Amino acid sequence: MAVDTLPTTSIAPPQTKPVKAKRERNRETLTAWLFLLPSFIGFVIFTAGPVVAAGVISLLDWNLFSPPTWAGLRNFARLGPDPTFWSALGNTVYFTFVSVPLTIVVSLALALLLNQGVRRIAVFRSLLLLPYATITVAVAFVWIWLYIPHDGLVNAVLGLVGINGPDWLISDTWAMPALIAMTVWKSFGFGMVVFLAGLQAIPQQLYEAAKVDGSSAWQRFRNVTVPMLSPALFFVVVTSIIGSFQVFDQAFVMTHGGPGSRTTTLVMYIYRTGFESYDQGYAAAQSLVLFAFIVVITAAQFLMQRRLVHYDN
Amino acid sequence: MSTKLSRRGLLQLTGLAGLGAAVGTTAAGCASSAPEGAATWAMWSSSPAERKVWEDFSQYVEKQLGVESVPTLTPSSGYPTKLDLQLVSGTASLVTAINGQLLQTYAARGAHRPLDDLIAADPDFELDDFYPAIRKINSFNGKTYGIGFDVAPTVLYYNKTLLAKQGITPPSATEPMSWATFRDLTIELTRPGEQYGFSCAPAIDDLVSWIYCAGGNVMNDDITRSTLGDPEAMEAIQFVVDLFVKDKVTPPITNLVTESSLSNFMDGNVVFMQNGPWQVVNVRKAEFDWDIVPFPAGANGSTPRVSGSGFAIPAAVRGDDLELAWRLLKTLTSTGALDIYAKAGRNNPARLSAGTAFKPPPDNLGIVQQILAGKLAGGHPFDVTSNWNQVKQLLSQDLPRTFLGQVTVADVIGGLTPRLDVLMQQHQDTVRQATARKG
Repeated sequence: MAVDTLPTTSIAPPQTKPVKAKRERNRETLTAWLFLLPSFIGFVIFTAGPVVAAGVISLLDWNLFSPPTWAGLRNFARLGPDPTFWSALGNTVYFTFVSVPLTIVVSLALALLLNQGVRRIAVFRSLLLLPYATITVAVAFVWIWLYIPHDGLVNAVLGLVGINGPDWLISDTWAMPALIAMTVWKSFGFGMVVFLAGLQAIPQQLYEAAKVDGSSAWQRFRNVTVPMLSPALFFVVVTSIIGSFQVFDQAFVMTHGGPGSRTTTLVMYIYRTGFESYDQGYAAAQSLVLFAFIVVITAAQFLMQRRLVHYDN
Repeated sequence: MSTKLSRRGLLQLTGLAGLGAAVGTTAAGCASSAPEGAATWAMWSSSPAERKVWEDFSQYVEKQLGVESVPTLTPSSGYPTKLDLQLVSGTASLVTAINGQLLQTYAARGAHRPLDDLIAADPDFELDDFYPAIRKINSFNGKTYGIGFDVAPTVLYYNKTLLAKQGITPPSATEPMSWATFRDLTIELTRPGEQYGFSCAPAIDDLVSWIYCAGGNVMNDDITRSTLGDPEAMEAIQFVVDLFVKDKVTPPITNLVTESSLSNFMDGNVVFMQNGPWQVVNVRKAEFDWDIVPFPAGANGSTPRVSGSGFAIPAAVRGDDLELAWRLLKTLTSTGALDIYAKAGRNNPARLSAGTAFKPPPDNLGIVQQILAGKLAGGHPFDVTSNWNQVKQLLSQDLPRTFLGQVTVADVIGGLTPRLDVLMQQHQDTVRQATARKG
């Protein structure tokens, strides 16, 4: 037996190595799937499933309680002549295209400031991250008090410099800017931390080389910082735009979408349609349009990143 | 024996533990339903005091029915959404509390069952012991869908201390004052920035009392069109808006979300507040002397909104569960249970036989039952539609802007009326569908 097996053993190593490597790869794959599984299950149940369900529900007339009936594309056709839908979409676009750039500018400015060798940077970073870590509803209630026209802190501060502040949350003109200001304050922490990490990863030699070439601070920012930070910038822009299109809490808590429908956002309108008007089919159609809108904008951003975003490799 | 755990092994173990925990939690969540045969019921509850009342209710139910009582208490703001999801998923309680404003919404969509067959088959149940107003509020399309537990007209709270300080005689508890007298008083008692004559919410829920007193309504009797543009309703809306914008007898509106007539009144610098007797329990905490009087009388007299709530049985409850549900509903709305509710001062009970438990203070609290019994002033059951949420949502968009002086009443009502008419037609469609379903 031993004699029989010996030759086999002697030629075995060239064959076992790939087998062992394959087994190793399989184990790694299995481990990876094991880790991915909880998240994947969550994604299927709470994200992919509802998106598919929304697609089906959008084709039905369903008031939640009675059996649904087939509506075809009627719910999508209702979007066209619905002024509230277009007004909510317009408000959401306005909110997004003002709040996102402002948030990014504030985040970047603070990240640049903290990157100037500030002592106890961790303390400042934590303090500045606090608004982001606080739940929106709590922040919104605090801001309601800040915006009180006569006794609120915002108008009191404006009064110190001779400005008679408006009736923020009940003003046709100022209600949305008031929500945007609160959102910028609430959100800048996230971008700041991402930008700070990006800034700290930029090799100092690049700045030194630029200095040797005689570049100014602005030129170094424009030609070194921005290109090197572009992946972080891209990430923050994409996630901020997606988040802004889904704005709900602050408008729901601070203004209930008013005055009139000045601050009614699309997600708020979807919620009201689905759970106050019990028009699930129409709410699903609206949410699919919002989904498509976000997908298109995100896809456009990914196309643009090829030209604008610079990766090390 | 020692076992060396590799880094990879540790990661695998962690992954497996996480997966196990997720599966375990899900399984536990699915298994945590009420025990078989328990009397389950759902109610809103937003304060420890309310919770105490419902716990007492629960003990009463257990004593009366001899089965475990399982109340599901939810803060009032989230109650309708939670109820919707429970009804859809088939996990609703045997009996659910329904605000009178939403009863039609649920009944019209088939979420709850009519109770007429159960009432007819039960000789012990006395429907006549319930105030007519709450019976109307709990009905839809000629059928009874809920049994009331509270009902009350809107009244006028007043700050006795402020009136005494000004040397003004308190208004009569038996003769409602006229709108003109009320307006003059509020103007006289207002000192901008210091003291205000009146406070109410800039919303349809409060506005509707004035509209009823003027002889108007939100919609016509057949619910086929909006009547907010009719002269009576317009007069009422304009009257209240003028109190805010022209006479400035109300505290300034700072935002449209947290604006609360109760908190304004409790501050102690508002003389009159429009509200229901359900706030008596809260106003008892006031640090000043106060009482209630009938709502000011308009052209149609003092006929403010009468509102209430009830318990109903979801349509999915059948068989033995239905028998238990009916016994539970009867217990929750029995004189004994409503005595607990009224003694705690929560609100006026829906049963005449439990009325004595809703006791002073304040001194004039008895007018609530006199009004409901038709012996004093009057009241108007809160007329709603099967899509009242949508009507309210529409009215909550632009109507508050009139209270801010941003737009005129005529412009707002003119803009809203065609959209309200569409909602009235939708209501008619829903009624037709409900009738067809019934047939």
